[in-house]
Amino acid sequence: MTYDIAKTFVLGGALSMAALSVQAESFNWASTTDPQTMDPHAVNSAPVLSFLNNIYEGLVRRGQDMSIEPSLATSWEPLEGENGWRFNLREGVTFQDGAAFTSADVMFSYERASNEAADVRSWFAPVTEVRVVDDYTIDFATNAPNPLFPSSIANFMILDSDWATANDAALPARDAENYATLNVNGTGPFMVASRDPGVKTVLTPHAGWWDAATHNVTEATFAPIGNAATGLAALLSGDIDFIQPIPLQDVDQVESRDGFNVLEGEETRVIMFGFGHEHDTLLYSTDVTDVNPFQDPRVRLAAAHAIDLASIDRVLFRGKIEGASQLVPAGISGFSEANSDRPAYDPDRAKELLAEAGYPDGFSFGLKCTNDRYINDEALCRAAASMFAAVGLNAELSTGPVRDYWTQLREDDFDMYLLGWSPGTFDMEHPIRFLLHSQDDEAKLGSWNFGNYSNARVDELLPLVQQEIDPAARQAMIDEIVAITQEEVAYIPLYTQPLIWAAKENIDLTQRADNFFMLRWVTVN
Amino acid sequence: MLAVAFLAFSLFRFVGDPITQMTGVETSVEDQERLREELGLNDPFAFQFARFTGDMLNGDFGFSYRTRQPVAEMIATRIPATLELGFVALLISLFVGIPTGVYTALRPRGVATQAMLMLTLIGVSIPTFVIGIMLIFFFGVQLGWLPTFGRGGTVNAWGWETSFLTVDGWRALILPAITLGVYQLTLTMRLVRAEMMEVMQSDYIRFATARGVPMRRIYFKHALANTMVPVITIIGLQFGGVIAFSIVTESVFQWPGMGLLFLESIRFVDIPVMGVYLVVIAFFFVLVNLIVDLLYVVIDPRLRIRDVS
Amino acid sequence: MRDFINRHEGLWLFTRSPAVIIAAIVAIAILFGALFAPWIASVNPYDLASFSLMDGLLPPVWQEFGTERFLLGTDDQGRDMISSILYGARLSLMIGVSAMIIATTLGVGLGLAAGYFGGRFDAVVMRIADIQLALPAILTALLIDGIARGILPTEMQQDLRVVVLTLAIALSLWVNFARTARASTFVEMNKEYVQAAVMQGQHPLRVMFVHILPNILGPLLVIMTVDLASAILLEATLSFLGIGLPADSPSLGTLIRIGMQFLLSGEWWILWIPTLFLVALVVSINVLGDFLRDVFNPRLR
Repeated sequence: MTYDIAKTFVLGGALSMAALSVQAESFNWASTTDPQTMDPHAVNSAPVLSFLNNIYEGLVRRGQDMSIEPSLATSWEPLEGENGWRFNLREGVTFQDGAAFTSADVMFSYERASNEAADVRSWFAPVTEVRVVDDYTIDFATNAPNPLFPSSIANFMILDSDWATANDAALPARDAENYATLNVNGTGPFMVASRDPGVKTVLTPHAGWWDAATHNVTEATFAPIGNAATGLAALLSGDIDFIQPIPLQDVDQVESRDGFNVLEGEETRVIMFGFGHEHDTLLYSTDVTDVNPFQDPRVRLAAAHAIDLASIDRVLFRGKIEGASQLVPAGISGFSEANSDRPAYDPDRAKELLAEAGYPDGFSFGLKCTNDRYINDEALCRAAASMFAAVGLNAELSTGPVRDYWTQLREDDFDMYLLGWSPGTFDMEHPIRFLLHSQDDEAKLGSWNFGNYSNARVDELLPLVQQEIDPAARQAMIDEIVAITQEEVAYIPLYTQPLIWAAKENIDLTQRADNFFMLRWVTVN
Repeated sequence: MLAVAFLAFSLFRFVGDPITQMTGVETSVEDQERLREELGLNDPFAFQFARFTGDMLNGDFGFSYRTRQPVAEMIATRIPATLELGFVALLISLFVGIPTGVYTALRPRGVATQAMLMLTLIGVSIPTFVIGIMLIFFFGVQLGWLPTFGRGGTVNAWGWETSFLTVDGWRALILPAITLGVYQLTLTMRLVRAEMMEVMQSDYIRFATARGVPMRRIYFKHALANTMVPVITIIGLQFGGVIAFSIVTESVFQWPGMGLLFLESIRFVDIPVMGVYLVVIAFFFVLVNLIVDLLYVVIDPRLRIRDVS
Repeated sequence: MRDFINRHEGLWLFTRSPAVIIAAIVAIAILFGALFAPWIASVNPYDLASFSLMDGLLPPVWQEFGTERFLLGTDDQGRDMISSILYGARLSLMIGVSAMIIATTLGVGLGLAAGYFGGRFDAVVMRIADIQLALPAILTALLIDGIARGILPTEMQQDLRVVVLTLAIALSLWVNFARTARASTFVEMNKEYVQAAVMQGQHPLRVMFVHILPNILGPLLVIMTVDLASAILLEATLSFLGIGLPADSPSLGTLIRIGMQFLLSGEWWILWIPTLFLVALVVSINVLGDFLRDVFNPRLR
């Protein structure tokens, strides 16, 4: 699997290797949110998984370019005679408390992570049975051929069964804390020296780590800083060495100062507008109340043509975004090269389409957006509303914090809405499953398809995509899905969210496209 | 306090849905529903409130939805930071506010007085967060003299996490304390000034002047001492306000106190933490009120009623 | 003229203090600008079609790339700063003044009644006032916001944001009025003419509003001025914390919140111009408040 969006930035130049010395190097970094728990199975959220990947490890892990590489498993192959995968485990690995790692720990972690109390259990939905073959071999049987399974469990982290059981943490804590909420015992390169939730967490290297350390950090301190200006000020004043992310508008300012570097990349998150396909009427319209014009693909296309992405890029994003044609960015496996054009900015065409659809004077509708979820989300929606207005689509914009946003969307309380989607498996199948397949609570499909976009052919193709082993045949099916959904304007994909980190000049680190920050690639010069 | 608890609890039901904040994108609707059931979020409102108060009276403050930690512990670890910040802010306001207040009262027509009065007016007119940001920008980023966030080094003294015992801790304290103190300072100065001017016109001072007591002695012994009674009580009352208003300062400086915890809880719809925070704040307020009321009666039996604004 | 001024001590004081004169001019100018914003401003920031992202982030006219179309520059949406500020001041003043009026009515009403009736009613009102004081303004506003969210259907929430915010601010300010009114009422109640009125069997409302209220107008006016300033600041602070008004109906506070994103980025005008404007407005209101205090309380001069 290749992944070319990820870029490795070597900041300090060639000198870096010389600095791999034994001297004490402390490293301070900050991000916007604190990982809410130290339990790797309790919460499926990026801040938690990103942080814990420094401490715990999975059977496989992602490299600097997002490729899957061996971690606690040295190799894996499809099972013979049935669907599923066999993992051959690494020998001689020890947990941070000194206990040895065996297949029993994998079995235990599987049971823990697939339990009802775990938030990550959806990863194991295709798994029918897990069998320990011997101390260093374990089989995962699946309900159908599942070529993506090994890469889909890169964040499935392994706990020590004895440690968890002895400390009463055999299951993830749900409504109260348990030992694993605050304490860790992984196999990874770092361990927690102290933790003050919401204030700071200090990590120290795990001397017994099985892999050769490529970092030179002797103590790393993490602090959450919620206010972006405060965070940037902390970097510029020298209080911290590295921060993720920094606001786009501050990039020039940081670059112009001596001693700092900005790392620019692209996340895998695509920002898009969605429609209430299923709604029979508009909820927020003052002039069209008997029908839902967005059920007409021409109206949806008109909305797409109304967006002036170049201006959005120039003013709001300082030229840092790439337009998106589909629900994943180029470089993600399954990306449809054949359908990589997005609707051009063409307000005249938009007006024509509206007239064809029977709305020559446009109409008003409600646009829902978050104001604290994505980069510049509120500004984007204000700009988009103004662009829609220019072709006669009068958006009644309502923005709010994400804390009650999903609830509103689940209650179908929108005409058009903003959504960002990052494919958790780094494969196109992920957004097809969550955003394009018709809502099906039973089969847990289309669970984030709020407007219930529904196309029988897409629904039919999804299971075939999931099971197809032959890459060319699989890609052909995905291309067909992307073509259908572009034709029908299921969503208006806008752009890939940029990923901006900033660090002091003497820090070498790697920016991975999933926005995970790995301490093991840090060098302090 | 029960009223505050009730308010707090009833209203936070509406802040948002905690479940969507507790779970990841891939969690199924059924799993979310089951969690909601487990947390008792589907129970009737009255029942939930009764449980909340009942648990609280038993000293059980519940667990945070977000971090799954006991709320009592979370808030307890944050109390020192807020109290220390409030305390230093108060000290700043006293040590600057009282002398300037006295000065401006004694020289009401002086140029310096007019300048100071104008400055304090501007001081109360700039939103706290703008002051904080300006200080960060100037002393942190431009000059690089002082840290811009957090508490710096802290020392655990008998279970109390203090930043008073390290140089680092003091350095981190300066900017937030000034930010929080500016408003109080203005208030103190104006109060001292008003009281002082009033006292200076009283018969008692006039009599002392007539008797030929040295002016310096009059100012600082007789007049100031008389001024202090109402000033101290009112400043005591203000302390409750300082604690509560530190929310803004804590947010700007990422100061790990109760206010920051509260703001984070709002963001994550962490209802138990929000509820307990409000009750704790109310408790502080009631406590301070009580102490001040007692002082008031002890020191000044006439129980004067005074406009604090 | 001189005689007239001398006879009216307040006016005399007024002419003697340049700061007060300047403050009055600034306040009146801002008030005027805010009232007539729709006629003065070149762009209506509420009308999405009237501005374009293409004009975004232009600096004020005296800087490089500034244009005469936008004398004080534009924000990230391409909105003219002057227009935004005028409309913002309009909204801020509207919220501030309405909040102050509601707080005054509520506070004075309750305070008078508490002072007049005393006893249990007084105790209850003052207890409520204590609870109110225990909840800082920020929290009160947050709670009101929470109730509104719970009670009102979503589609009404947007429209009623301003009302909710006003109520929230009003409810956090009424206590001062109530306390002052109550204290003054206690004092006035002991005076002979009030006693006489009560004896005559006059209606309590008449006693309160005809005999007592006029005597406490002075201090109330002072509090009203100071609280108008607090209300405007409170709105700004709430907006900063993200619980104020949404970005498409920009008050001064919301403008500052938006501007905060550009604090370190070089586009200083988006933050500092509205901030300066807000500070100028609040300072002048406070100066006037101070002045009124001096007029009504000559002993402090």
